[in-house]
Formats: sequence, structure tokens, C-alpha cells
Amino acid sequence: MISIKVLLVDDEQNFLCTLNKRLSKRGMIVEVAGSGEEALEKLESFVADVVLLDVKMGGMDGLTALYLIKQKWPLVEVMMLTGHARVEVALRGLELGAFDYLMKPVDFKDLLYKLEDASMRKAYQEEKILARKRNKQKIEQSPTVY
Amino acid sequence: MGMFNWFLSRQNKVEKTQEELAEIRRSFASRYNQFRLLIQANTRAHELVAELEEALRGFKPYGMHYIQALCTRISTSIYQMIKHLNELNPESYSELFVVFDDIQNNIQAHIEPKSYVQTRELIVDIHDVGRDQADLCGPKMAMLGEVGNKLNLPISSGFVITTESFHRFMKKSGLIEEIDRQIQGADLDSREAMFQTSSKVMQLIIESSFPDDLAEAILQAYDSLCVTFGMQVKLAVRSSALGEDIEGTAFAGQYRSVLNVGREFLLSACKEVMASKYSQQAMAYRINRGIKDENVAVCVGCMVMVDAHASGVAYSRSPVNIRDENISIHSVWGLPKAVVDGSAETDEFLVSRVPDLHIISRQIAEKTEKYICGVGEGICRMPLIESDRNAPSLTDGQVLCIAMEVLRIEEYFGLPQDVEWAMTEDGQFHLLQCRPLLQVEQDMVLASKNSSLPAPYLSGGRNASPGVGCGSVFIVRKDADILLFPDGAVLVIKQALSSMAPLLGRCSAVISEQGGVAGHLANVAREFGVPALFGVKGAQSHLTNGQTITVDADGRTVYDGLVEALFNKKPRKRIMRGSPVQATLRDAARHIVRLNLTDSDSLNFKPEQCRTLHDIMRFCHEMAVREMFEFGTNDAFAQAASRQLICNVPKQFWVLNLDDGIDPKGEDRADHCVLLEHVNSIPMRAVFKGMDAVPWEGPPPVHPRGLMSVMFEATINPDLNPAGPSRFTQKNYFMVSKNYCSLQSRFGFHFCGVEALVSDRITENYASFQFKGGAANLKRRILRARFVGDILSEFDFKIRVREDNMSARLEGLDQAGMEYRLNILGYLMTHTRQLDMIMTDQVEVERRKTKFFQDFKLFNPKKIEVS
Repeated sequence: MISIKVLLVDDEQNFLCTLNKRLSKRGMIVEVAGSGEEALEKLESFVADVVLLDVKMGGMDGLTALYLIKQKWPLVEVMMLTGHARVEVALRGLELGAFDYLMKPVDFKDLLYKLEDASMRKAYQEEKILARKRNKQKIEQSPTVY
Repeated sequence: MGMFNWFLSRQNKVEKTQEELAEIRRSFASRYNQFRLLIQANTRAHELVAELEEALRGFKPYGMHYIQALCTRISTSIYQMIKHLNELNPESYSELFVVFDDIQNNIQAHIEPKSYVQTRELIVDIHDVGRDQADLCGPKMAMLGEVGNKLNLPISSGFVITTESFHRFMKKSGLIEEIDRQIQGADLDSREAMFQTSSKVMQLIIESSFPDDLAEAILQAYDSLCVTFGMQVKLAVRSSALGEDIEGTAFAGQYRSVLNVGREFLLSACKEVMASKYSQQAMAYRINRGIKDENVAVCVGCMVMVDAHASGVAYSRSPVNIRDENISIHSVWGLPKAVVDGSAETDEFLVSRVPDLHIISRQIAEKTEKYICGVGEGICRMPLIESDRNAPSLTDGQVLCIAMEVLRIEEYFGLPQDVEWAMTEDGQFHLLQCRPLLQVEQDMVLASKNSSLPAPYLSGGRNASPGVGCGSVFIVRKDADILLFPDGAVLVIKQALSSMAPLLGRCSAVISEQGGVAGHLANVAREFGVPALFGVKGAQSHLTNGQTITVDADGRTVYDGLVEALFNKKPRKRIMRGSPVQATLRDAARHIVRLNLTDSDSLNFKPEQCRTLHDIMRFCHEMAVREMFEFGTNDAFAQAASRQLICNVPKQFWVLNLDDGIDPKGEDRADHCVLLEHVNSIPMRAVFKGMDAVPWEGPPPVHPRGLMSVMFEATINPDLNPAGPSRFTQKNYFMVSKNYCSLQSRFGFHFCGVEALVSDRITENYASFQFKGGAANLKRRILRARFVGDILSEFDFKIRVREDNMSARLEGLDQAGMEYRLNILGYLMTHTRQLDMIMTDQVEVERRKTKFFQDFKLFNPKKIEVS
């Protein structure tokens, strides 16, 4: 399996650090950002498969960051992570296209599975779009179909 | 969908190219991935609903944060299912979002925290406080003010920082949100996490500053006290918590008091007291009692320090024996700290109230030191001079004076009282605080010399909390030992310190070398119903870690080993019963748990009929399975995906490959058949192995009445048509991928469904089984459903039976464990056919059951098949 590229966004340095280490050990390619703003900046150069996004941060809040990421990079899967269960935030996030809403403390193994699933979903979405493109080309090339 | 239409129109004209087939395969894989996410969410929702049901039973303590997190998790999972279903078919299910919103709003109404919107005084003078101010000042300060004013008892001057101030402070700059976030993120079952969360939160509060107007008001109140006294006064800063005694919960006194505080540290002392709302003890207490965090406010009483010559606690009756009306007075030299926190031995005086007040016993302890006000701030310990060490800290006259005042307070409130008092040098009584006494009903007073009991291992001490407990000894010598404390052990400590209180929810008994019945730890032990024996000399040196002992607090005796004779069976306490938190959960659960959409063939099986989240979950799951089937058997693709199963001979089963369930070699076959060995689905092979292991005996010999029953049922029940309403049920289809399989089938008159996911992600594995119908009358069908349910429950399945409808579910086993269960499910699918006919024949039922269990031995749970 190709290694998953993950962007971790959280304003808790300790958390970022530990998670970065653990995910890297599992062969993932990890970048970190301390705020929503920084995350958007990082994504310009780092082609992430999955963004793990803390919902409550100083500065830009998680939902806004989610919205902006999905606007600009619709195929990137975003997973929300929070220490404070707020159902309205969770549902709004899913509406905005988040892959899932996880609550701290999150079991590391479950987090790994989620990251795998999210990146797999991204791969399928990309394939679908590719197929659509190929298909379009074919139709254009073979007018006999009509 | 453009691609599929294109294939559809192309299909009739040309044979598919390899490339096109690959496209089809990819689209199957992508759909299957969507489906897989849906059933993952389904599994999660199942587990969460089961967790909620367990919480409703009320054995395990939890708080509002837990409920909010749990409900959010459930809603999130269900919402994801709706989303995934809509992606599988964007046209038919948007109605579900509307239904979901309605249900979600209903749940939210119950679990949303209430906000406080009164504007009231920030600070009140204690002399203006009475029982009517309990909501503003907390019951402790309200009672103190009441007694001081109505009974003319001497109380200190001072003021109360109100609930209004507390809420203002907490709401300031999102403090409360941050606190909630910290708590929610912690796993409160783990002591270490609880400990860390508690200290983090308290730190957070102490580091925040009061709103400016509040800080100013507090300091002004202090300054005007100083003006009255004509000197810089020192204050005792005490908590007065509000909201603890809803539903009769007695105040546990687990909050902080800071003594001898001057102007400089007044604000930080106040914050420290407010922060103690989140002390480990207070948090554990609320969780154990089901008290909502949001309902608890900590007011602060700031009272001028009393320069105590002697002080202590008095009970107007015995806390451990309701029929004992004697007044007990616990006393030390100096400030009452040692009495309250149980850190030292205290003098104890017993006073009888009849015929006239008179002292009936004096126990004078050896006292080595006393606490006094420090010169600057705070209090300090001072060694006692030789002559005071063994002298009574109270004269007889003082004892009687205290007893009399305590009785007045009891009379005034009409309830037994727990009174903290001080005596000044001049022999003047001062009331520090009072509260209703929590009395514990003693189950039985043991016959003193029970001959069946073994010889005591240790004896003596005082019954601090009645009852009998058994467990292995765990000696706590330092704070770090607390973290290692094993559940159910007997806590053995030197001093009955209140810092041990968080362990009381988890220990079977407490033994302390020192400490009195009047201490905080004893109070909490009584509230938790944990037997406690205090004042057992040398307990730590006589007992060894791991030794099993029985503690009989009532008999003041410790026995080696388990002494069963001392236990009369007590049912496990449902500690959450009747708590406000549990009531909230129950209200929310009404919109979550109940399953109304049980029959997927019914006309009512549609989104508008979903009344709970469970209904939505069931609906989404059923529809997703159907969508997968419809897509897979859609005319254009049927040949690509579905094949008749050949196992030696062609079977009446078809296999629909959802993704990677059939080996490429199998896919190459041109005749729309597939050999079993080319089926790559772990769960399907396990189910089929079970189905095929032992040939079916054939229909049971129907007895005439059984046959009559079938014919009768067939004429009145139009549903009894062996062929179901959709193509799905006409043929017996296995829908498979490598890790998934679903089989819905009708064998004769009954319906069977098995579904399973088996992969190396153990937490996602599950097997579910449904079974309903039959040809015999309802009674026999119900009997068969129960018969099958009983068998499956022996293999760890969770069973629900409603009429003749049985469902079984199992989660979280590894591959070998799952395969073994699937073998059994497969076996039962084959061998319970038409068994409803014989269900009233006990002998025959027993014979079958014995044979079943004999046959199950064919399936070795240890062996892992290589696929």
C-alpha cells in the first residue's frame, strides 16, 4: 500500500508531536499545522490525502477551516477531531463533507483504520473522476454510439 | 451514472472489452467501499446503542459529559449511514435527512445544558443571609446565616460570594467551554486520566482572573469588614456548593477551605475554593451520584477567623446507628482541621439527651500537635506541650454547652445535625458551619458471639461506615500508590485523609489506623455504602498486600480470608437510579433506542415511519443491502457479477460478487457458475461450511396436528408465500466480498438472514442473524425462535426475540472466533428448517438439541482456514 499523506492540525503541541511520531512510525507521511490558517498554507505545497483537524482552535475555527479546505481541494478527506462533543458541530461538519467526527480520547488503532478508510475513499473518488474523463473522451471518439 | 448508461447502451451491440470489464469492476469496488463504510457506521451505532442501554441500567457511574458524548457519537454514526445510503442511491432517500433532524432536535432538547440568566447580587453580607437565600449562597451558608440570625448563635462576621458570581466567572472568556472540553476528552474510568484532568481544570480556573467588577466587589467587602473590626482581619474561605442535594444527595464536604487568608491572597483563595468543584473527589462524587456538573455552583463564604482554643465536629445523633440518639462530640486543641480531614486521633465525648443532658463517656486520645493560625497567612502545626497531650481538650461544662447548642440547631431544623464548632479561650461557643447529618441504616446488629465465625485477625477501632466487605489487602502509603489501586481491594491506610475519597467508589472496604467517624472520608464511605473501620492500631504492619480479608465494620473485626457467614446477600446497587443524570439519559433514549420498524416487508417500512434513531439505522442498513443487490443484478451487470454456486454439484445458491469475493479464475468461467473453491469470501465460506457439514435429516415427521396447523395458517396468512416479494428473496443469494457476506433466504416458509464482516480489524467484525416466520401456528414459531436464540446465546450472541422474530448479533471477535460462530449459524440455517412443526414435542426438541451440540464439535474453533 502506498503510504498515506496526513496533515495534522491542532493547537496542542504535545498532541501534534506524539501523533506525528506514532503515525510516521506506521509509514505515513505526516505534516503538522498549529492552526487553520497554517493548514491552508501547508496544503498549497503538501498534497495531503487526509487532514485530521481539531475542531476547536485559536484563530480560525475548525468548521471554517474544513469549509475552506473542501472548497479548494474537494477530494482531500477531512476528519474532525474534538475534545468537546457538540452534536451540532459534528453534524454541520459532516454536512460540509467531513469524512468523520472523532472524539478524544481516540483509540490509536481506530484512528489508523479511519485514516486508511479515508484515504481509500479518496482513491476511489479520484478513480471515478478519471473514469468519467476517459468515458467522455471515448464518447467523443466514437460517434457510433448515438 | 453516465458511465453505466453508456455501458447499458453499448452492451447490446458489442462484447465487452477487457478494459470495459475493468471499469465495471472498479465501479463495483467503489460502490462496495461506500457500502462498507455504511455497515461500519452501522456496527458502531449498534455498539453505542448497546452501551446506552447498559448505562440506562444504572450500575456504572457516569455524568452529563458522558451522555453528551455518547449521544453525539450515536447521532454522528446514524447521520453517516444516511449520507452513505444517499450516495449509493441519490434519488430515493433524501426524506431521511428531514426525519433525522426532527428526532435529533428531540434528543438535543434533553441533553443541552441549561444556561443561567438571572442578574442578582454578586456579594451578600452573612447577616443578611437566611434559608431563603439557599439558591444564591448555597445551602451551607444559607443555614449558617439562618441559625446565626434566628437562634442568635454566635457566628463570625463575613460575606458570601454568590452563585451569580460563580457563573459570571465561569462564563468569562469561554472558561466553562474549555473546562467541558478537557473533561470530555478524558477517559474518566482511568484514575490517572481523571487525576490529570482534575488538576488541569483546577489549574485553568486558578489561573483565570475574575471579571474586574467581581474582583473589586470582593475586595471592597473585605475592606468594609476591616473597617468594622478596626484591623486587618483574616478570613476562613469556605465552599458552599449548590446543586449537590437535588434528589436528596447529602453534601459531602469534598470542597476546599482555605484558612487564615488576608487581603493579598483573598482572590486566589476564592478561586481555589471555586476550582475545587473539579477536585478529583468532587468529580468522582458527581459521577458516582449522577449529578450534573452544570447544576453545581460553588459559592464562597468568607468568614472572619475564629481563634479557636479547641474545636471539632459534633453529631446530634449517631451517624451509623439510627436508634442511637446520643450526641457525640469530637474535639482537638486548636483549629478543627485534624477532626475534619481525619489526620489525627481526637477526643470523643458522648452525651445522653435523657433525662437531662449528661456525659456518658469520654475517650481522651493522645494528641501530639495542634493547628493554629499562622502569623502571616495560612495555618501551621505546633507540637503540644506535655501537659496538654493527654488532657481532655474540653471541660465537662464546655461539652454540655456544645451539646445544648447542637440540640437547639437540630430542633430548629427538625433534622439530625452535623455541626462544626469552635471554643475560644474565653469559653465562648462559635458555630462554624452546620448541615443535615447523613445517617446510615444498619442492616443488622450481629449477635455478639457468633460461634460459626473464625478467630478474629485484628479487632478494635470504630465503625466509621457500617457493613461487611471482603477483598484483597492494598496498603496505600503514599499518593502514588493510589494510582495502582486495584478494583475491589480493601484500602488500608494510616490516616483517614480525604484525598482517599476517589478510591471509595472502587474498594470493598476501608481500614484506617487513625481518623474518626466525624471525618470527611467516613462521610463519603457512608454515602457510598463502603464498610469502613477506623482506628485499627497497626493495621498496615499486620496486613500484607494481596492477603484476602473480610472486614466487619459493625463487629469491629477483621478476619483472614473470606468469611461467608457474614454476608447476607445484598444485591448490587444501581447507583445511578433516580439521579438527574439518569433521568436525562432516559428522556434522550426515548428517541434513540426503541426499534419500531421491525418488519422490512411491511408497507410501513419507509422513512416517514422512523421514530427513533434505531429505526433510521435499521432502515438504512436494509436499504443499503437492497441497493447493493439491485445494482449487482441489474440486467446489464448480472452476468458480470452473479453466478450459481457449484460445490460438487450445482446448488440452489447464487453468489453475487460485490468487489473482491471471487477469484479471477472463477471470473473467467463463461457459464455463470462459480466453484466454491473460487469463492474468496472468508465469512461466506464459513457460513457455507456450516450449512453443508451435515446433511439435513429432511422435514420432521409431521404429526397430524402439526400439518393441520400448516394448512390452517396457509389459508389465513397471505404472507405465507414461499416466494418473497422481490427477486432478492426468490433465489438464495450470497452477496460477497473478501471480508463480507450477506445471505437472505427463504427456506420453505421461514426467513433467514445472515450477515457478517470478518477481517483483521477485529473491532469492526460482526455477525448478525435473523430468523422469523415458519408454517406452524404462532405459538410454535415463537418456540422455535426462542429455541434458536437459546442455542446462539451459548455462543456469545446477543439475542432479541419478539414474537416469532429472532435476531442475534455478535461483535468484535478475531477471524477464528468469527468463523466458528458462522459455522454454527450456517448449520442452524440448514437444520432448523421446519422445526417449528415439532416444537411442542419436548422429547423431540431435546433430541435435536443434543444432536446439534454433538454436531457443533465438527467445527473446531481453534483452526484457522487458509483462504
